[in-house]
Amino acid sequence: MTEGAPAIFVALEASGIGAAIRQSRWLYMVSNIGHIVALTFFAGAIAVMDVRLIGGFAGTPPARIIGQARRVAIAALAALALTGAALFTAEASHVVLNRAFQLKTALIALGLANVAWVEFVILPQIKRLQDSSPMPSGARTAAIVSIATWLGVAICGRAIAYF
Amino acid sequence: MRTKIVATAIVAASCLATAGALAHHGWGSYDAANPVTVQGAIATSKYENPHATITLSDAGKVWTITLAPTFRMSARGATEDVVAIGKTVSAFGYPSTVEKDEMRAERITVDGKTYELR
Repeated sequence: MTEGAPAIFVALEASGIGAAIRQSRWLYMVSNIGHIVALTFFAGAIAVMDVRLIGGFAGTPPARIIGQARRVAIAALAALALTGAALFTAEASHVVLNRAFQLKTALIALGLANVAWVEFVILPQIKRLQDSSPMPSGARTAAIVSIATWLGVAICGRAIAYF
Repeated sequence: MRTKIVATAIVAASCLATAGALAHHGWGSYDAANPVTVQGAIATSKYENPHATITLSDAGKVWTITLAPTFRMSARGATEDVVAIGKTVSAFGYPSTVEKDEMRAERITVDGKTYELR
């Protein structure tokens, strides 16, 4: 327990759920492994969408392949949030003050802002594009921001243990 | 465009860059060159994830000893009872270079039985 943390995180860690995750033989380990497995699906789905936005897989209609990959990404993100919440709750007061975790949180916010940009600005532009059509200029930027941001999130996530 | 790429690259790299400068909780922050052995009766015991920890007093100094994930510990026979309060334990490990009087145990011996924790 880190006393200097905001009270809500101290309370979260001290809660019955926090104790249950720490003391269970399985919960913490399953969350840990599940977080990584979900990450691989998330990264794969994000990569498909970003490569298509950059102009790769040119022989496919962009809106369709992005729509399909997005379903995987949403499910994987939900699994990441669930398993991440379990890992966070177990050590909330300590992790919330962790520099890598703080940077990770900021990068997640940036990544989600980019998702909103793609969703509401880029996707409407490519909705009716056929195979091999050139992508709008913003698509490439959004894809590069996406790859860089989510890679940063993954790196920071692993780095939490080293701070 | 180019500025944006550079900016995002900087954001992503900043995590790595600060990792080297600020790291203090990874296993790297334990002094493996100067191992210590501490011995005493367990005063407090937390059989919890991500790592079990015990405290004990040796030569007037209260050590916090970081053990291993509970799943690994029980897989190697070091169950909750083995590191219960009051048990006499001898722990060989590495002192933290950051936290005062904290060490990471490489192995512990309880009741004549040695448990490898790595």
